[in-house]
Amino acid sequence: MAAAPVIAPERTWEPSEVDERDRPWSVIVWNDPVTLMSYVVFVLRKLFNHNEATATKLMLQVHNEGRAVVASGPREKSEADVARLHAHGLQATLSQD
Amino acid sequence: MLTHGVRRLPDGRIRVRLAAREHELLRSLPAQLRPVLAGEQQVGDSAQRLFPPAYDDLADETEYRELVGDDLTQERLAALDHLSRSVAAGGTRRLVWTVDLDAEGAAAWLSAVNDARLILGCTLGITQESVWESAPDPDNPTSVVIFWLGWLQEELVAALMRTLPDS
Repeated sequence: MAAAPVIAPERTWEPSEVDERDRPWSVIVWNDPVTLMSYVVFVLRKLFNHNEATATKLMLQVHNEGRAVVASGPREKSEADVARLHAHGLQATLSQD
Repeated sequence: MLTHGVRRLPDGRIRVRLAAREHELLRSLPAQLRPVLAGEQQVGDSAQRLFPPAYDDLADETEYRELVGDDLTQERLAALDHLSRSVAAGGTRRLVWTVDLDAEGAAAWLSAVNDARLILGCTLGITQESVWESAPDPDNPTSVVIFWLGWLQEELVAALMRTLPDS
């Protein structure tokens, strides 16, 4: 029985595969028509320790553009951030850039 | 002296003062909200609104839901129960009901009031922010209540904002 020719796998994919997993994830807050603007500012300050100006700027971006990236980092941390935002009743998702 | 609304006391507690009829309204809310928060009853798109997806990818989302779904529900129900207990406490004098909340109680109120607005927003089918530009519909009790809860939430947020580090 003839063995199928074995082609050694190229090893160059490994680093890029690692890079793929390491690319940061973005935590996105989405606009909704019911949540109060002041409450969004409060939650962003409470969860991410943003100062008032930064939290207000992000809230206005959500309000005007429909969404804003409020944090980014490794997947596990981003997922935990999204869970905290969900616990506070905000619409939030995470995605890799 | 503040007769109506929410303020932070010098000792850090949060004092809520409401008209007796507003207090009655808050007493009736938890029983309406609990089955919706617990997922036993759906109002409009309340399930999606209260527990929105974290991921576009279905497999990732299923995993996320399995990991945190129950905790999120229990946390929200615990906040509602906390509101329920403090609404049953407090005292009424000259038609004004007063209760003092510790930090945990105030956080629970904020969470429960926010959830109440989300659920009533689903009941009313609110899809546009322009709804807030007009006055509540006096013939629709849900509309009157969601506007009033908006006032209460603004009061709570303003009092709690002062408890944050850089305030």
